Amino acid sequence: MLNRRHLLGAISALAMLASAGTPSFAQDTYDIAMISKGFQHQFWQAVKAGADKAAAEFGANVTFEGPESESQVDRQMDMLAAALSRQPDAIGFAALDSQAAVPLLQQAADAGIPIIAFDSGVDSDIPLSTATTDNVAAAALAADKMAELIGDEGKVAVVAHDQTSRTGIDRVDGFVNRMAEAHPNIEVVTVQYGAGDQLQSTEITKSILLANPDLKGIFGANEGSAIGVANGKTELGSDIVVIGFDSGAAQKGMITSGVMAGAITQNPVGIGYETVKAAIGALNGETLPEVIDTGFFYYDASNMADPEIAAVLYD
Amino acid sequence: MTDTAAPAVKTGPRISGAFHRLLAFSGLIALVVAFSLASPNFMQTQNILAILQATSVNGVLAIAATLVIITGGIDLSVGTLMTFCAVIAGVILTYWGLPMPLGILGAILAGTASGLVSGTVIAKLKVPPFIATLGMMLILKGLSLVISGTRPIYFNDTPGFNQIALGSVVGQVFPAVPVPNGVMILFAVALLAAFVLGKTALGRYTFALGSNEEAVRLSGVNVDRWKIGVYAMAGGIVGVAGVLIASRLNSAQPALGQGYELDAIAAVVIGGTSLSGGRGTILGTLIGALIISVLANGLRILSVAQEWQTVVTGCIIILAVYADILRRRTL
Amino acid sequence: MSAEVGSGAPGPLVEMTDIDKSFPGVRALAKARFELLPGEVHALMGENGAGKSTLMKILSGVYSRDGGTVLLNGQPVEITSPRQAQDLGIGIIHQELALMRDLTAAQNIFIGREPRRFGILDEGRLNRDAAAIFASMNLRLDPTFKVETLTIAKQQMVEIAKALSYRSRVLIMDEPTAALNDAEIAELFAIINRLKAEGVGIVYISHKMDEIKRIADRVTIMRDGEYVGTVRAADTPIETIISMMVGRTLSAETLAIPNTAAAPVALEVKNLNRGREIRDVSFSVRRGEILGFAGLMGAGRTEVARAIFGADRRESGEVWVHGKRVGIASPKDAVAAGIGYLSEDRKHFGLAIGLDVRNNIALASLPRFTGPGGVLDEAGMQKEAVAYIRTLAIKTPSDTQEARLLSGGNQQKVVIAKWLLRDCDILIFDEPTRGIDVGAKSEIYKLLNGLAAEGKAIIVISSELPEVLRLSHRIAVMCEGRLTGILPGGASQEEIMRLATLREPAMQVRHAG
Repeated sequence: MLNRRHLLGAISALAMLASAGTPSFAQDTYDIAMISKGFQHQFWQAVKAGADKAAAEFGANVTFEGPESESQVDRQMDMLAAALSRQPDAIGFAALDSQAAVPLLQQAADAGIPIIAFDSGVDSDIPLSTATTDNVAAAALAADKMAELIGDEGKVAVVAHDQTSRTGIDRVDGFVNRMAEAHPNIEVVTVQYGAGDQLQSTEITKSILLANPDLKGIFGANEGSAIGVANGKTELGSDIVVIGFDSGAAQKGMITSGVMAGAITQNPVGIGYETVKAAIGALNGETLPEVIDTGFFYYDASNMADPEIAAVLYD
Repeated sequence: MTDTAAPAVKTGPRISGAFHRLLAFSGLIALVVAFSLASPNFMQTQNILAILQATSVNGVLAIAATLVIITGGIDLSVGTLMTFCAVIAGVILTYWGLPMPLGILGAILAGTASGLVSGTVIAKLKVPPFIATLGMMLILKGLSLVISGTRPIYFNDTPGFNQIALGSVVGQVFPAVPVPNGVMILFAVALLAAFVLGKTALGRYTFALGSNEEAVRLSGVNVDRWKIGVYAMAGGIVGVAGVLIASRLNSAQPALGQGYELDAIAAVVIGGTSLSGGRGTILGTLIGALIISVLANGLRILSVAQEWQTVVTGCIIILAVYADILRRRTL
Repeated sequence: MSAEVGSGAPGPLVEMTDIDKSFPGVRALAKARFELLPGEVHALMGENGAGKSTLMKILSGVYSRDGGTVLLNGQPVEITSPRQAQDLGIGIIHQELALMRDLTAAQNIFIGREPRRFGILDEGRLNRDAAAIFASMNLRLDPTFKVETLTIAKQQMVEIAKALSYRSRVLIMDEPTAALNDAEIAELFAIINRLKAEGVGIVYISHKMDEIKRIADRVTIMRDGEYVGTVRAADTPIETIISMMVGRTLSAETLAIPNTAAAPVALEVKNLNRGREIRDVSFSVRRGEILGFAGLMGAGRTEVARAIFGADRRESGEVWVHGKRVGIASPKDAVAAGIGYLSEDRKHFGLAIGLDVRNNIALASLPRFTGPGGVLDEAGMQKEAVAYIRTLAIKTPSDTQEARLLSGGNQQKVVIAKWLLRDCDILIFDEPTRGIDVGAKSEIYKLLNGLAAEGKAIIVISSELPEVLRLSHRIAVMCEGRLTGILPGGASQEEIMRLATLREPAMQVRHAG
């Protein structure tokens, strides 16, 4: 039968493709599975780059996976379950929803697999350590820079990615609270959420600007939100101050051209690197700090080229 | 095809509809064998259970989608409806503090009600199913966010809620194979749907509508009523999926759901159900859903890069449908 | 059961008087009238668009009437749905088969009233009941076969079985023999006679005069939605009925067949094969010749045409055009070789019904009208279209009229114009007059004769023997995929039917599908 032969042939070809993709494991290299919150996003690719760097440096095998969108909590669970079945030596994990992950993390802990949380971390005491940006402090820095640029008075707004993840909550709280504490003449008129989607954030920005003609600035709380805010500004021909978060080629270009005043950058490469390094440390019996601060910086057109900054920016 | 084609199919045997299921099934077996050979970690009880667990939600959604697709329709709202039902369960259990069975019932009723609305819009207002359910998809997504206040609703006050999907009644009897309840629920839904399709008037009209709706109308059958019935039943099944995912995550995640309808439709299509209606089986859909999760799990176990996992899944979908076309050509 | 028409009642079963019905922009029925007696076969005749089907759809509850009265067994009734018509004992077999292809024969017959036990379908009883109906029809058919695996004729039988299963007292048959062969027609007529004897009234809609003569008791003729008259079938000449239908007398045209034996061969087909459908078919057509293809349904005539045209794969065989072998792998190649195919189902395959006449005519020749930058030369297209509208006498208000608004005969002419413009000098016509009015038929015949006289080589596939006999210089007859003989134009119907049923002795008759 023609068709049966076709299909079976194709399946075996796929199986071969699959096995060809399998790296050959030497018994003495550590196998570390990293489950992140996303995959396509440049930020996560930079985390992956840092993890790969550490893997090469310490001679470990690292895989890196994440769901297509940050709402797919159950898909992340499936990835974690598959990673557990692989019986890796250690797991790096950035939870989309900490509660949902607890049963699987418990299973890993019971199996003696050390877990290192990264980025937004995990609300649980199972992870041995968390490699993360202090998002509250990073957003507070954005608030200070915003205040400086608009003369410490007037109305501002926030466009954030979501209100359920740790980073979303911390960055919004960090920015809003800092304004309330240190800049009493600045009013945060609204906080809106665009799921980190550029287009959606653009539309949100435009409606905020049309509703508040006297607005002086908007903080975009992650890469997608920040680009959306800057696009909205350009489309309406507004001259507000935009401060972004994270980097990426588009955002860097906007800062160079002046559409965006500046942005906070985390150190995604450092997050990936520190996660793998901590995992290997745990496997070697080292004691780890509860939180590994991977740092953040404010950058603008003036300091983008500095070697210290350029090293943590990604395209 | 030109005259150079091999004269092999001169009087080939009649190939029955069972063949495609066989084909999908042999595809599934081939995948399992290939992955088992490639990695010793694949064929482990724990991993097989993980695959089944990963199939449960998509499998239930795909069963709902199968019913609608056999009528010649389509339901794009299954993903966000699932979320909506989960949120309803969250409101009943967490916000109102009512007992667990009411939460489950509420989710299933919410699904059924939404199916009634979709079915009515399609049957009575004559809005094409693609458009009607696209609209419902967005309406339900928005309502989920509104009702939940855009935050996840956790089921911490309902002890045992996460046991609906994660617990294992089977495991209490056979500790060696703790098949999660979610998987048993999937099988139960599949049996129920297969029964309805094969043995009841609703099932008969489901096939009849997809085959030739006008002929059904001319036969004096109240087409609208049965069509609405199919969408309502599909909605109720989606309600079960809503309970499953909420239980598994111990929370109703209002932002989740969009995109899940495409995975469900992919499972249906791989399982040999025709998008033009009139034919399809629940068993095929179940196998289709299993192929998707075996593929995802196996490639992960083999540490295949995520980019390539997506490529392979796409290839499998096209191959499955191409196999179906070959089958028809030889019919 | 009380709503059913009582069989012993005297007087008409059905009396429809002054029935009016309009659709947006069209007056379908105006004071139409019809009467049906118990135990009568009453033929309803008229050209396409005369309102026969509309009138019967009103009786069977598909449409509602705008005015007039319907008496059933002497009682006024309002029939608002097909279901209600069935409950009243009125069954209809629709012209377009109204079957669910993916369901079995039995499931189709009992759709809407499946036997159930405790709410669960009783498949066993369903199949037994269906088998009983088939047995009463003297029909050998497995009720568990899916309809899509049955031949068109068998599907038609399933439709009839379905109508019978309602124990209808009134049975409406809309062109029931369109897809049946002679043996099957004989079966159908036997069934009709049995029903007649049981007092069932049968409305028989058909275009085929010989059938009307054989089976009908009375004939009601309609024209333009109006009642023309009712006559007794036995003592009314066919010519009278036709003139009542068309409103004028048609002269019986005979045609002088020129001798084409000396003309060069335009198309030669050698040893064409595909599975059981086409078995070693070889023939040739000369310039100026019309080669008729006769045979029963499923004999393989359309399959041969499609294989020559490249629309279907062939396993082996050669096609020679004007003495040169041509490789035809797709319709594109066939058209390039000058072969045009006018399919049976114009609306599906031949005509883009949403486009206007001009674009339909130009459709196969667009490269010729494509100027620099891909812009179409509308003026050139219009010029050609208008020229063909004139030479083929296509009745259309203008070349920008949408094709779907034309009558069947004029649509056919548009397709012919398309191939002529494409310089096709070998034309294959598959059922060129199916669904075309009596009046328009003779125009198509004249057109075909004219094309042959111009030197085109023409193949005409037709299931109507008089048509084949009237048109063809030679007649090729097929049976079960084989070419069983080629007869001269003056052959007798008996001789054609003998070849059309000339089965291979060793050939075992297999079940449909």
